[in-house]
Amino acid sequence: MKREQGMRDNMASGGVLADGLPSLIAAAHELKSPLSLVRQLSLLLETEDLSVDERQRMLRQITLTSERALRLTNDLTRSVRLQDALFTLEPINPKQLCEEVVHELTPLFTAHGRRITLAPRTHPLLLVANRDLLRRIIVNFSDNALYYAEGDGPVQLQINAFHEGQMIRLGVRDYGPALSSDMWRSLQTKLSTAPQPIHARPQSSGLGLYIASQFAEAMNGSLGVTRHADGATFYIDLHASQQLSWL
Amino acid sequence: MNKQHVLIVEDDPWLAEQHARVLSRAGYEPTITPHALAAIQAIDIVEPAAIILDVLLTGSTAFALMHELQSYTDTARIPIILCTNIAEELELEVVAPYGVRRILDKTSMEPSDLVTALRSVLV
Repeated sequence: MKREQGMRDNMASGGVLADGLPSLIAAAHELKSPLSLVRQLSLLLETEDLSVDERQRMLRQITLTSERALRLTNDLTRSVRLQDALFTLEPINPKQLCEEVVHELTPLFTAHGRRITLAPRTHPLLLVANRDLLRRIIVNFSDNALYYAEGDGPVQLQINAFHEGQMIRLGVRDYGPALSSDMWRSLQTKLSTAPQPIHARPQSSGLGLYIASQFAEAMNGSLGVTRHADGATFYIDLHASQQLSWL
Repeated sequence: MNKQHVLIVEDDPWLAEQHARVLSRAGYEPTITPHALAAIQAIDIVEPAAIILDVLLTGSTAFALMHELQSYTDTARIPIILCTNIAEELELEVVAPYGVRRILDKTSMEPSDLVTALRSVLV
């Protein structure tokens, strides 16, 4: 039993380096899954006798899986450079940004037999953020919902104002079975600190969430998760822009 | 001749689908489940001859499933083949008491390795 714990501790050595940057082990672990899948699909394309439709479908899966891996590497490099770069915070229409994310991710969701939608919203809102960082956070949450939420329910992006319109919450709601209490506690910790050991959330090192929290911090925002009876909402809270009130 | 049932416990649907394709072509009857809980339910129904098990699953880990299977005489006998990205972190002698007979490394395995491993544990 001690040896098993030792293995897990070893797996848990991923996380952050002393200077707060994501560790190589956590990054390597996150990249293994998509790379392994691409390799298996490629080997099957080489060796199996497949119909044209099957080949096309597998090639599409390779493309989408590669794009997912590239998103992670791009986020990782962006995260590492956060400390050296200046980021413009500007008024952003969250509805427009969410529509762009839905458009970008629809092919991936469709290939998995899932749907991603944006909850209807009548009143326009503006928030203060960096467009690129905010888009990466919403894509990360959506990706998380696609791969880690159970079931085949839809994923919905939601925009809500609170604190009398002073704050705006962008959430990604999934409709799988509810998180267990243990996993919920683990995620709460993960959202406020560095990545947790791999076994804290078995299939993920939490690197994506850690990067998202770094991005949120750079925009004076905060991340959180709300547990529902039938799923979860990962969200970012940001300050509303006052520009609309001047009109 | 009846085909032998093999349970695939894998939360990546595209990878699970390819495992199932390889096993079907080799003459097995694969059933896919995405997590440990579904696997426990499926085991009672399909009575698999072997289980192909990913380690890092959504929800409970493979270890929780293996503990559960070891609790019952009939399920404890089902040979398990771990198919994982963290093969380098695992040692067969350590996990053998959980019913694990082979460990396949997803990062370096060939698709046919799945069939080779199955045949070796089902002799």
